Amino acid sequence: MDSFTQTAWLIPLFPFAAFLLLTALGRGYRRAGVMIGSIGSLLALIMSLLVLFERLDPNAVDYSNSYKWIDLGDYTLKVGFEVTNLNALMLVIVTAVSFLVNVYSAGYMKKDERITVFYGYVALFTFAMLGLVLSDNMLVFYIFWELVGVCSFLLVGFWYARPAARAAAKKAFIVTRIGDAGLLLGIIVLFWYMPGHALDFSSIHNVFNEGQSGAITMTITTSIALLLFMGVIGKSGQFPLHVWLPDAMEGPTPISALIHAATMVAAGVFLLARTFDIFEASAAAMHTVAYFGGFTAIFAATVALAQNDIKRILAYSTISQLGYMVMAMGLGSMTGGMFHLFTHAFFKALLFLAAGSVIHAVHTQNIHEMGGLGSKMRITAWTFGIGALSLSGIPPFSGFWSKDAILGTALDEDPFLFAIGLAAAFCTVLYMSRLFFIVFTGKSRVRQPNEVRESGLAMAIPMVVLAVLSVVAGFVETPWNGWLGNWLTGGGEEVHANGFAIVASIAVGVLGIYVGWLMYGRAYREQSPAAARMPWLVQLLERQYYVNEFYNVVIVGTVRWIGKLLHAFDEHVIGGAVRLVGFTAVAGGRVMTRLNNGQTQTYGLTAVIGLVVIIAAIVGRRFW
Amino acid sequence: MMDLTDLPILSIILATPLIGLLVVLLLPKHRNRWLQAAAIIFTLIPLVLSLMLYADYDRHQGGNAYEETANWVEVPLNKETQASNGVTSFTLSFQYDLGIDGLSLPLVVLTTLITAMAAFASVHVKKRWKAFYAWFLLLETGVLGVFMARDLFLFFVFFEITLIAMYFLIGIWGYFNRERAANQFVIYNGLGSAIMLIAFILLVSTAGFHIDQDTSTFIYSGSYADIVRNLADPSAWVNLAPDQTGGLNPFHMSDAMHTVIFLLLVVAFGIKLPILPFHTWMLKVHNEAHPAIVMIHSGILLKMGAYGLIRFGIVLFPEQAKDWAIVLATLGLINLLYGALVAFRQTELKLVLAYSSISHMGIVLLGLAAFNEIGLQGAVFQLVSHGLISALMFLLVGSLYERTRTTTLSELGGLARSMPFISGILLAGGLASLGLPGMSGFVGEFMSLLGLFDSQPWIAGFAVIGVILTAVYVLRAVLKTTFGPIDERFLAVKDARLIEALPMIVLLAFILLLGCYPSVLTDTFQYSVDGVFKPLFSLRMGG
Amino acid sequence: MLPSYLTMAAILFCIGLYGALVKRNAVIVLLSIELMLNAVNLNLVAFSKYGVVPSLTGQVFALFTITVAAAEAAVGVAILIALFRARGTVHVDEFDEMRR
Repeated sequence: MDSFTQTAWLIPLFPFAAFLLLTALGRGYRRAGVMIGSIGSLLALIMSLLVLFERLDPNAVDYSNSYKWIDLGDYTLKVGFEVTNLNALMLVIVTAVSFLVNVYSAGYMKKDERITVFYGYVALFTFAMLGLVLSDNMLVFYIFWELVGVCSFLLVGFWYARPAARAAAKKAFIVTRIGDAGLLLGIIVLFWYMPGHALDFSSIHNVFNEGQSGAITMTITTSIALLLFMGVIGKSGQFPLHVWLPDAMEGPTPISALIHAATMVAAGVFLLARTFDIFEASAAAMHTVAYFGGFTAIFAATVALAQNDIKRILAYSTISQLGYMVMAMGLGSMTGGMFHLFTHAFFKALLFLAAGSVIHAVHTQNIHEMGGLGSKMRITAWTFGIGALSLSGIPPFSGFWSKDAILGTALDEDPFLFAIGLAAAFCTVLYMSRLFFIVFTGKSRVRQPNEVRESGLAMAIPMVVLAVLSVVAGFVETPWNGWLGNWLTGGGEEVHANGFAIVASIAVGVLGIYVGWLMYGRAYREQSPAAARMPWLVQLLERQYYVNEFYNVVIVGTVRWIGKLLHAFDEHVIGGAVRLVGFTAVAGGRVMTRLNNGQTQTYGLTAVIGLVVIIAAIVGRRFW
Repeated sequence: MMDLTDLPILSIILATPLIGLLVVLLLPKHRNRWLQAAAIIFTLIPLVLSLMLYADYDRHQGGNAYEETANWVEVPLNKETQASNGVTSFTLSFQYDLGIDGLSLPLVVLTTLITAMAAFASVHVKKRWKAFYAWFLLLETGVLGVFMARDLFLFFVFFEITLIAMYFLIGIWGYFNRERAANQFVIYNGLGSAIMLIAFILLVSTAGFHIDQDTSTFIYSGSYADIVRNLADPSAWVNLAPDQTGGLNPFHMSDAMHTVIFLLLVVAFGIKLPILPFHTWMLKVHNEAHPAIVMIHSGILLKMGAYGLIRFGIVLFPEQAKDWAIVLATLGLINLLYGALVAFRQTELKLVLAYSSISHMGIVLLGLAAFNEIGLQGAVFQLVSHGLISALMFLLVGSLYERTRTTTLSELGGLARSMPFISGILLAGGLASLGLPGMSGFVGEFMSLLGLFDSQPWIAGFAVIGVILTAVYVLRAVLKTTFGPIDERFLAVKDARLIEALPMIVLLAFILLLGCYPSVLTDTFQYSVDGVFKPLFSLRMGG
Repeated sequence: MLPSYLTMAAILFCIGLYGALVKRNAVIVLLSIELMLNAVNLNLVAFSKYGVVPSLTGQVFALFTITVAAAEAAVGVAILIALFRARGTVHVDEFDEMRR
């Protein structure tokens, strides 16, 4: 019966095979390259759907299988895969978005001379992401976690000749690496404190599920949880390690949709879900998680209000939405977090693809050089609108249901975070309506208006499909039907249906659109009247609270300074000592040369003196 | 397949480069291609043989295998003696004793592999080919001998052979300051060898001393097996305090003496490793020597330091190693962070890689200092892994320099455009070096840190910072070279030729293999770690 | 008896040493070296007669030394003559070839 589940390890291998083929073929076969990449992800998608259908059976049992990787003394590190409902859901999200992005890129990247390399990287990324999803223990998880990071790095730096892309790629890698170092340490701590040194998720579940079973002390649990959370902060762009994600927009737009909106950045949230038991065992860790998430949500949403680059707005929006998911996790609602991850994957991928379609048409990312595109690019405008409404949390679009699930939980658990969430939701609606009105309505401010036309079918179809998904995906979990939650957690979580939360979130949504229309919709202005009154605030937001500048001075500066100091130390102190020793030897040699006057008799005399000294020493010892 | 144990397989592997040396000497000196072909053939033969040996090696027995012994030096000392039991003759005995265990076998394979690859990379050598390949092959014999020797003096002799061969290889075929670099190399390492010799003499004259009952001779033995056995045997002369033997026992090794010898060994091999602050010579070598030679130097010769530290330092003196573990761990941490931070400030690609070697050797030290099986396995793994990675990196540096005539970071940039293959491999090598999972660097790093956390959690915690810093300097250097706008000068340069691409692919394949399926390697030395070091760990459990 | 022989040998040796180190004339230096060798011979013979374990070995050894000394003197004088021909002097302090 579970035949597909048992062969789930095949899923990542399709894109991997595609990657190998693409690498082997080289750059010559452009058409074939596109086909290979797309077919690889399509096969993975089909297989994932088959697995998902099997998992829908309420009697389905979790399946895992593992093999030896390294023998370590008395313990063996293993690699393996596991299929649970959570994994199956992620599998479908990843393969679906990946396949659509593959199709989309056939249009978007058509003119790029390295399109096969691009497809190769995307296939490699899909492989790594699927491996991450399927992994059955922390170590394998970490391995793929790093691999997706490196794929992200490669794709952000895809247009390597641009210095900005190079800087962004480096930043993306290093900033996430900071989080990963914490994650690695967390895994090491976990290894030594877990009974039997087990790292697989089911053992973790068993050990921590009972709350404090006594096997691991509270302090250790909290430190493990916080170390793991460092990884989440890095990967999912939470404050204070969010700085890489906006810069990562230097990559091609389909990549922003796939990696930096739908899948990889959500891996952090997925990690929280996989190790949820560890976090649940420590209240302190949960609070930390919730507040980091909440702060990130509001922080990033305000920054998005003042950005002028279409992709940067969406990037900050992604950070903010990831903050929501993390907050949901911290509040104990794994369902809320995963549900939002699920819907967000579709509507944010949609928004990025639509934005890519716009960029493709107007060749700029500055929203003030767009305007009035709605009439010329109908499909793009409509799909973008659906995505924006979904993100804004307007019923019945999917974003509404998932955001409502989070806000409902927040209201029950922590009203303060509820308030923050609501404020962030308002900002979200505001910046989305700003974006939509400035780009798609009003007069055209495009440099070459005649060249603007709707994108081709290859790009339009994925957008339409995602638009449909953005509309319907929300109905798997509604305040009156907790199907997703039951399915994911085995019925362990209550549904937080709260009338007030629903009303408040709808009210905020409608209000936000109205305000946005007042400010940006009626007529185009470079700057809104409200902003004109507070230029310092706009400046602050536009510069993203000066976080980058702060890091540049404090962290990068310090590291540079230490490096310089040590370099000088190396050169002068250690090198100086070495030179001093050398000099002493040479100087000593010079002195000795004086004795070496070629007179045999002097040599003889020296030898005799030496002999006398030795004899004296030997004889002298008797008397000591 | 024929049975390898019927042949003196180790001697054959050891002698093949020497035969190659003779062949090279017989070839005409202006025939560059012939000479290189001979060098490649005579480095490939030991590679194939050692791979066969690797496949044939019984992983579960752990101890010495393929042992080959012959009397080498036997000096009767004929000292008059007051012994009451009729023993009248003292003998100084050094054996031609070869053997391998799970610890040295991977290093032997690493040696043959990297030397063969370096023989390919020698395509860029511009002058005096005959002498180059002669020294080159002699160097290989020396290194193989170091890893195979099971006798202290044999070990020492091979160690010195590598020193001399390296001296000429650096001094003749390097860049501008090659002679200075060669001098500094030979002075530093000569000092290290001298210290090692003192330690060895102390060992032979105490722990090596035993009585052969059959011929009733007193023997000062240089045999490693004898020394290990004597040190472990509570009734051996070396372990009998003077009051147990009636007042006088010149062979007794006191606790203080244990510590002294251990520290002598740490310094001797620490110079080779190199441990800070003994690293300056190795920067010069990395910067000035020919890249093919640096491949061997960074890839294998540095490993001799760590190998010696394990083989003589830790196995012979487990208690001292345990007492000094915290010091070793601190030194390792300093190496790791210091190397990384200074590498970050370098403006010269070769120096970045040199400091990166210092940093990575810090991880080896950390693994050793962990003083448990996981850490030790991690250290050995890191040795092999860093050997492969740094060999690959310097192979690339050699190819880059041939094309750009510079390896200064500020002058490079955008090379991915004109040489996508070399740049791709450079990026892959960089990623391997910063410990990307799926490549060998990660496994060694992870196991070392994992082991270290158990014994020194705080140092392990700090060491994780190294993981970040490594990424910083590696990416800085690699991206500066390959990404960004390209200089017009480099637009026309060609990508790698087949003879250059081949070793790159082979090395990268090994890096990936070890990263994806580390058991290929860990299984080999795991039982050696278990078997040889078991007493050492029981010690830890006990006290 | 032994101490007197040894004293005698020591005195001879010291005279020889003094001559070898101080005298400028190379011929005298050579003679002084012979003197030191003979002091050693005296010791050898003395020990072989009056030592703890008297045996003939010492006397045989003395014969050896005499032979070697003769050869040494012959070679020494030959070198000296060659040097004299080349440099026109037998003063030791004018030979500083070893420095170059």
